Amino acid sequence: MLISTQNLEKKYQVGSETVVALKGINLSVKKGEFLSIMGPSGSGKTTLMNIIGCLDSPSSGSYMLNNKTVSDLSDDELAKIRNSEIGFVFQSFHLLARNTALDNVMLPLKYAGKQKAEAITLAKDVLGQVGLSDRCSHSPSELSGGQQQRVAIARALVNKPSILFADEPTGNLDSKTGSEIMKLFKKLNEEGQTIILITHEDEIAKKSKRVITIMDGLIESDVENNDE
Amino acid sequence: MLVEESIKSAISSIKTNGVRSFLTALAIIIGTAAVITVIGIGSSAEKALEASIDDLGPRTLSIFPSQRKRGGISSGYNPLVIKDAEALAKNKEHDWMIAPAMSGNRQVKFNNSNISGDINGYLPINFKVRGFDIGQGRIFTEKENLGRKKVIVLGSKVPGELKTSANQLLNKDILVAGTSYKVIGILKEEGSTGWQNPDDDLYVPLLTASQRIFGTDRLGWINVGISNDTNVDYVMMTIEEILRQKHDIGPGGDNDFRINDWSQYSDLRRQATGIFTALIAGIAGISLIVGGIGVMNIMLVSVTERTREIGLRKALGATQKSIMMQFIIEAVLLCILGGILGIIIATSLLFLFISINDWVFSMPLSAIIGSITFSALVGLFFGIWPARRAAKLDPAVSLRYE
Ligand SMILES: Nc1ncnc2c1ncn2[C@@H]1O[C@H](COP(=O)(O)OP(=O)(O)OP(=O)(O)O)[C@@H](O)[C@H]1O
Ligand SMILES: [Mg+2]
Repeated sequence: MLISTQNLEKKYQVGSETVVALKGINLSVKKGEFLSIMGPSGSGKTTLMNIIGCLDSPSSGSYMLNNKTVSDLSDDELAKIRNSEIGFVFQSFHLLARNTALDNVMLPLKYAGKQKAEAITLAKDVLGQVGLSDRCSHSPSELSGGQQQRVAIARALVNKPSILFADEPTGNLDSKTGSEIMKLFKKLNEEGQTIILITHEDEIAKKSKRVITIMDGLIESDVENNDE
Repeated sequence: MLVEESIKSAISSIKTNGVRSFLTALAIIIGTAAVITVIGIGSSAEKALEASIDDLGPRTLSIFPSQRKRGGISSGYNPLVIKDAEALAKNKEHDWMIAPAMSGNRQVKFNNSNISGDINGYLPINFKVRGFDIGQGRIFTEKENLGRKKVIVLGSKVPGELKTSANQLLNKDILVAGTSYKVIGILKEEGSTGWQNPDDDLYVPLLTASQRIFGTDRLGWINVGISNDTNVDYVMMTIEEILRQKHDIGPGGDNDFRINDWSQYSDLRRQATGIFTALIAGIAGISLIVGGIGVMNIMLVSVTERTREIGLRKALGATQKSIMMQFIIEAVLLCILGGILGIIIATSLLFLFISINDWVFSMPLSAIIGSITFSALVGLFFGIWPARRAAKLDPAVSLRYE
């Protein structure tokens, strides 16, 4: 099992009030799955992604990634796992504005301690994979939204992660560009990449193989999707 | 490659906020410029001073007569006389040049021109001790001195003061206090030493001056020329011994003369420059620390502004150490750039100052390395706290930050 969580809870202390964002999540994900997480705003989707993406730790419950318990690792150990096992794609791209596409994609390789020459080759490879071979030296401001998101996807993929997380990756894109990005995800999944996608659009969720709906910090439904 | 990435990121951050970076670094720039300017002026002044001491040729001590005190009451005045100088000259223990002199003001006349001139009674060796060079004609000889000959050597400006030229005066007679003297030489221009100008003076043999002009064997002073590697204290002791014996001063009696070591004055000047340098360096140090606080402030702002970037970098696998390094490098780089700019400004100022003063440019390399190192340390010290704050940011929270 790639991901397996037991009773994950996440509480936030806001002033004197305690916000319970996750109320006991039991979730298992196998390698190669293409999973959508749906739910209304504030239901806890991003919070869940942050925990299974090792960006945050749960208040209680346990989490195993690749059969290793990660809920009690140190900051730097988590950083290492994020670097090698996990790729993130965000709604607002989160590219470094002053760096070229190539430099943005190379960033995870730098933190992985790769040699420069090797890093450049790897980064150019993935940029080719997302169809941007000819945009390596462009800065984000010189790219369209769809192209920027492709750069972000290339950056997420460059260290060959076990899981690719995408939090509303099409939220800032028009529907045509959005569906192109979805096609890219589909292609990547067909090549074996595990993908966990967060969205609140049915149209988008339909493209995945399994849809989980979260309500108020609890999994409400978990259905296989055989539409396509 | 991570270090390279940090440096690249620091440079681009400093460049993007160019004006802000410059203003932040201003205190560092001013501090470094102040230190470097002062050290440069001090060092160049030192060089100029050394050059002017070398100009004097061998080192010179001067013996002056002074009042003898006994129990607080002045008792008699034992003058320095020609015999004292002869006694010193007889001593062969030291390789010194004894140059006794007397001087006074007398009427000097040539044709219808009339000036009041400083007449110096010199031995031929005096010219050597003072480093005077002859321009035209010659300097009088020991024989002329012993023969009390009425010959005279003029400072380079004297012909002009007598409303004539060196050529017109050479081998002519001029009147000194009504007696005629033959002009046998005119000195090269020597330049003022500050308290007197040898170019305005006239020079006759010492014995001539003593017997024909001043009517006394009292000397104004005795210069003692010694080579630079001489043990000055030992020379002074010998002078004291000889003169005390000549002047019949018993044990416990005070000297009735004093010995000046001119190089003491340059030591004093050097000391004063040293104190001045330390003072400015202190002020500059404070300026650098104020600059450091400014850098810290801007770095804190920068960390807040770039919260999302920090969150992203952490999401991509940046450890606390690498985030910390990135921000420390940025602070250090900002300070080093400030330091370099300060050095450039200071060096330009120095070149200006030095060309005005006609000095030789001199800047110890250690000052440059030291000031850059110090600004780097300021950056390191004041960069640590903001960098720690960046490193400790929670990635999940930072990514939400708008
Ligand atoms: N750092 C935090 N401090 C306090 N409360 C938080 C924090 N992060 C999230 N929350 C709360 O936790 C709950 C779940 O938030 P989360 O961001 O996971 O929702 P979401 O499903 O991703 O919403 P959206 O669709 O709008 O992105 C919300 O009520 C939110 O206010
Ligand atoms: Mg969300």
